[in-house]
Formats: sequence, structure tokens, C-alpha cells
Amino acid sequence: MGTALLIGLIAGIGILDERIFGATLFGRPIVLSVLVGLVLGDPIQGVIIGAQLELVWMGLAGIGGSTPPDWVTGGVIGTTLAILSGEGVGIALAIAVPVAVLAQSLGILVRVINLYFANRADRFALRGDFRGVTLMMWIPPILFFFSTSIPAFLATLLGAEVIQGFMDSVPQWIIDGLNVAGGLLPAVGFALLLDMLFSRRTAVFFALGFLIAVYLDIDITGLALVAACLAIILELYMKHNSREESTEASDNLVEGAIDFE
Amino acid sequence: MNDTTIGKRPLRQVFWRSFALQGAFNYERMQNIGYAYAMIPVLRKLYKTEQDRAEALQRHLTFFNTTPAVSPAILGISAAMEEQNARDPEGFDKSSINSVKAALMAPLAGVGDSLFWGTFRVIAAGVGISLASQGNILGPILFLLLYNVPHLAARFFGLRLGYKFGAESLERFAAGGLMERAMSIANIIGMMVVGGMVATLLTVETPLIFEMSEATVEVQSILDSIMPGMLPLTVTLIIFWMIRKGFKIAWLTVGVLVAGVLLSAVGIL
Repeated sequence: MGTALLIGLIAGIGILDERIFGATLFGRPIVLSVLVGLVLGDPIQGVIIGAQLELVWMGLAGIGGSTPPDWVTGGVIGTTLAILSGEGVGIALAIAVPVAVLAQSLGILVRVINLYFANRADRFALRGDFRGVTLMMWIPPILFFFSTSIPAFLATLLGAEVIQGFMDSVPQWIIDGLNVAGGLLPAVGFALLLDMLFSRRTAVFFALGFLIAVYLDIDITGLALVAACLAIILELYMKHNSREESTEASDNLVEGAIDFE
Repeated sequence: MNDTTIGKRPLRQVFWRSFALQGAFNYERMQNIGYAYAMIPVLRKLYKTEQDRAEALQRHLTFFNTTPAVSPAILGISAAMEEQNARDPEGFDKSSINSVKAALMAPLAGVGDSLFWGTFRVIAAGVGISLASQGNILGPILFLLLYNVPHLAARFFGLRLGYKFGAESLERFAAGGLMERAMSIANIIGMMVVGGMVATLLTVETPLIFEMSEATVEVQSILDSIMPGMLPLTVTLIIFWMIRKGFKIAWLTVGVLVAGVLLSAVGIL
């Protein structure tokens, strides 16, 4: 019971990261799973599971007005049940991914309910009532908190034995398959990042990053530093010169055309 | 008589309140309540009559949506414009406060998304995950640090510069092509890091072995001799193509999960 409450608390505060804590990213799986691991007495397993979940969901971000799958509820429940049942990373992903999709609808529900508070805020504004608007500001975060903490609390309370019993009845080939699938899932995360960043103009840099990493055996920190230097060199020297020489020519370029020689 | 200088304290309050921008996010006007809430310290200082306060609150409860990290810059500009309005209520065009907000939120969201979501977060995740997947607690710590140093700096200096230089500064910033160049640099780094992550953090290997008459041939070692990381690259590009074709992300992730189990069962993966 106490454990379940703590897990619920982690999920509830986790969702508030992008609501009232300015999206400092402590609500991402790579951080939350560690906290879950600490509560359950296995922080190292939490770190490892968090890394895998972050890989899968790295491409997810609430861009524009969109509501992505709820990585907070999915990640916290997946990590909790995987650690409690002792089944490891594969099962964490197999639980987390579908749960995140289901939990998304709760997030959407809260954003619909918030229309009511937006409406009330308008009426307070008519009277110049700062306190009224402030109140309308602080009720929705409470709803967001419960939209993730309640599912996480219930799953922890009821889930561990269910999962363990379930896992005992599942054939080995499915468990092996889940571990393979866990290895594939990060590809979705990378594809989503590509979708966000891709343009024909910069496609070659994806290839370059891949090839450098594959053949030169460099780690991501090193690669990021090299990439930063390269990008600055290209922008400062090459592009600037070509612009000055031929402003007219570059005006004719359509989006996606290569405009640095 | 209105006190027409905002002063340090209300601005500091705006800074902290800007973190709660999405707290009352709704589908109609998105971050509007958060924006109005963040502006309240400024409005309280500048306007004393109920009518002035009502007008100002209504102004800031209109539709607003941008990348949270760049919102303080726009808040700073709004604060500077409210100050001008309080000084000269007759001469100042009140509607310009909202036109400037509307004009800035989309382009700044473009820069913000590609800088913060597409670059800083990607680099932080790449470094963090490669450590964390080995069970190293430094992974999540570095993840938070690498992202939040530029993130919090942008919030802090965004608000100050926005307030100090007002709307013109950002217009000049945009006109000089600086915004475009920052995005371009961010884009190149982001793409390279994603490429590197596909190569190092995604393990897709096939256990397939063909038995010839006198020798066994491991398919994976043949693939590796052509180009290491071929399978992870192929899988990523196929899924990327499917996203571009309009497949829903929720279905894609569940689909990959199922496909993984099936491919493993038949011995391909």
C-alpha cells in the first residue's frame, strides 16, 4: 500500500513536469524510472529500464497542440511491474507501450474538461479578478496529477501478482519475442525524431552521423561535438559566402533544395 | 495615477510563473490561462482600476501556444508593451499587444521546437541513454544537466531581452536571418546525432544461419561485412517511411511489438 502510494506520487508529479514545472524533463522515462527503481529497492534496474523506455519514446513531444501517448503513466507502470515481477526490460516495454496508448485518452479528457475552467476564467477576467483567474489556473494541474497517479497506484496495488501469474502461463517463445521486440522499438523513436528533423537539405547529415558512428567507433558525446563544429563551419563560412555572392540565386531555391555549395 | 514602471520584483514573478504555462492547457485556447497567469504580477503593478485590469486580463486570455522554453521571451515583450500602454493609454494601440504575441508565437515555436525538442533534448538523450543503458546513474543526471543548462538560460535571458528591447529586437533578430541560421545549425546537429544513435543504440541482429554442404553461413556476419548497422538503419527508415505515409504512432509502436514477437518466433530476428 505504501509503495503503491509512492509510485502513484511519482507518476502524478511526473505528468506535472510539462504542466507546471516548465518541462525541465524530469518527467521523462529516463528520470522517472530511476525514482521508481529507488522506491522498489532496485535503482540500477530502474536506470536500465528507463534508458530503454527513453529510446522508444525519445521522438515523442507535445509539439503544437498535440497530445502524444502518455509516457509518464506507461513508463511508471511498465517499470514498476517489470521490477516487481523480476522479468526485466522486455516485459517493461511490452507493458509500457500499450498502457501509454490507453493512458493518452485520460490526458485528452483532462484537456477537454479544462475548457470549463477556461470559460470560468473569462468570467473572472470580466471583473478584473486576478484571484479568480489564478484559481482557474491551479485546479487543472490537480486533475492532471490524478490522471496519472491513480492508474499507477492501482496498477502497483493489483498488478504485480497478476503479472507474475500471467508470465508463468505465457510460453517461452513469446517472452523471447518480447525481448526482440524491445530491441526493435527504439527504431520508432528514431523514426519520430527523423520525422521532426528531416528535410532533403539535411538528409545527408543523418547519413554522415550514422557512418561516422559505425566506422569510427565514436560515442554520442564525441559525435555531438563534431556535429556542432561541422554545423557552425558550414553556416558561418560556406553559407554566408554563397549568400553574399548570389543573393538573387538563393532566392530562387525552393524549400528542401541544397543551398550551400 | 498609475505607477508606470514594472520594476524587478514583478518581472521575477513572471519568470517563475512562466514555468506553469501549460498547467491549465485546454483544446480551445491552449496555453491561454497560463499566459494570463504569468502576466498577472505585471498587470497588478501597472493597472489599478477594475476596468483596466479586466481589459488586460481579457487580452491575455486569448489563444496562445508556443514552445514553453521560448515563452518568457514573448512574456517579456508583452510586459514592455503593457508598460508603454500604462504610460500612454490614449496614444498606445492596445490591439498591438496581441498582434505581436500572435506574430511571434509561431516562428518562435519553430525555432524553439527545433532547438529544444530537436537538438538539446536529442543530444541530452543520446548521451544520457548510452550511459544509462549500462546501468550508470550518471546517465539520467547528465541528461537533465545537458538539457537544462541551455533551457534555463533561454528562459532567463529570453525574458530579460524581451522586456528590455521589446518587439523590435526579435523582429531584427528574425530579419537578420539569425533565427534561420540557429535553426539550420540545430537541424544539422540533430540529424547527425540521430544518425549516430541509430548506429550505436539500436541493436537489431538476425540469428539466421544457412547450412551449405560443407560450411555454415551466418547471415549477420555477411551483412556486417557489407556495412555494419545495416539492419537497424533499414528498420528505422521503413518506420520513418510509414510515419510519413500517415500511420498513427500508437498503432506503429504496438505493431512493432507484435512484429518483433512474430519475427522472433519464425527465427528471422
